[in-house]
Amino acid sequence: MDLSRLDRRVIFVLMGLAVIIPILFNITTDVEITRDTLDIYNEIEDLESGEFVMISFDFEASSYPEMYPLALATLNHLFKKNLKVIGLALFSEGTAIGYTLLSEVAGRYGKQYGADYIYLGFRPQYVSAILGMGESIIKVFPEDYLKRPVEEYSEFSGLSGYDDLPLVVSIADGSMPIHWADYANARYQQKVAVACAAVMVTAFKPYFESGQLIGPAAGIKGAAEYEKLLKQRGIAHRRLFAQSTTHVFIIVMVIVANLAAFRGRRR
Amino acid sequence: MTVETLVAAIFTIAIFSFLYKENPFYRAAEHILVGVSVGYYLVILVEETILSKVAKPLIYDRNLLVIIPAVLGLLMFARLSRNKGYIARIPLALLIGAGAGVSIPAMLWARVLKQMAASMLPLQTISGIIILVGVVSTLAYFYFSREQRGWFGYMAKTGTYFLMIFFGATFGYTVMSRVTLLIGRMEFLLYDFLGIIG
Repeated sequence: MDLSRLDRRVIFVLMGLAVIIPILFNITTDVEITRDTLDIYNEIEDLESGEFVMISFDFEASSYPEMYPLALATLNHLFKKNLKVIGLALFSEGTAIGYTLLSEVAGRYGKQYGADYIYLGFRPQYVSAILGMGESIIKVFPEDYLKRPVEEYSEFSGLSGYDDLPLVVSIADGSMPIHWADYANARYQQKVAVACAAVMVTAFKPYFESGQLIGPAAGIKGAAEYEKLLKQRGIAHRRLFAQSTTHVFIIVMVIVANLAAFRGRRR
Repeated sequence: MTVETLVAAIFTIAIFSFLYKENPFYRAAEHILVGVSVGYYLVILVEETILSKVAKPLIYDRNLLVIIPAVLGLLMFARLSRNKGYIARIPLALLIGAGAGVSIPAMLWARVLKQMAASMLPLQTISGIIILVGVVSTLAYFYFSREQRGWFGYMAKTGTYFLMIFFGATFGYTVMSRVTLLIGRMEFLLYDFLGIIG
């Protein structure tokens, strides 16, 4: 059989089946915890109850299936630890997503808006926003997402700059963590932990190795590891088996295609 | 099933239909996505920039200083004119100057000095040796002022192997990311749209 003449749609159908079958049978799989995910987990775990943590929703709707489990796991940890969460978005598309996620998880833990968490919303020009928050968070975000003055929330009115934040967590599908490293970490020595899309890991790796960023919990595997650390098996565990079967399928296809190419060349 | 779920499912299937072949449903879905994204972005920008940073401080707080950046911003539109296009260079010069001033020291520290320090590990460890060989050989590959022959050629060749490992790892991670997106949409179609499993 000449594989070079195989209709590419056959591969699409097989790929679809490799995803659908594990989902239909709802099979979950175990995952080993890596040092990277453990780093971000420990960093949050070491914080004292009641301390402020900023979480930046630096992703867009297009990467939602990958970012949702990561954001969910991180927020679960933050609220479980009774930390005061300050949410914001540095991408306009992430604004509404961030608010929805924050409210959803906060609701599960019975947290009150304004007392346990606030959502600052979006600011254009992320460089100015990151730098400005080093001087004063309230100056950059005088109003929250609901258009109320931040100073009206007594729990958050005393916020100054990064001095009051032991940790910033960036949930990112793009290069935003590099800007956090460039401007918040380099200028203000702010600790920045990262939960990111798997596609960005190699781009960020030098920053993690140098200690400029903490983490990362990356992709669906990172989310599953985080769920395991929290002892809350959820959506990431469910998706992980489908991910594994698809990877096996892709590896098989790469091998078969290469063998077919070698055979074709010999002819 | 909610209307949102139905709309999302129709658009997901329309986009997936491209896998069979190019068709009007796919094109319509693609154009609507672009239109909705631009519209959403525009509304957020108008609200968060023009209204909250210009109109509100000017009208309610009587902060006249806001006029300066607002006028500079408006001068950007001079580019639309053939005769007065040069005026846009004023705000552009300010943007580039301020941007460079802010970025250069930060990037020099974060992307050069910190990275150099992280590359200089003690050579007693295997990681330290691998990092040294990787950095030097990859830099050799990108050094074009000398012909890559002899010992220098071997070094540059070693650099390409490190680059290939990097590309392989990046490709692997990219596959992982994209497959997750596919799983997410399939789950949506099976759970939320078709209600096969709850």
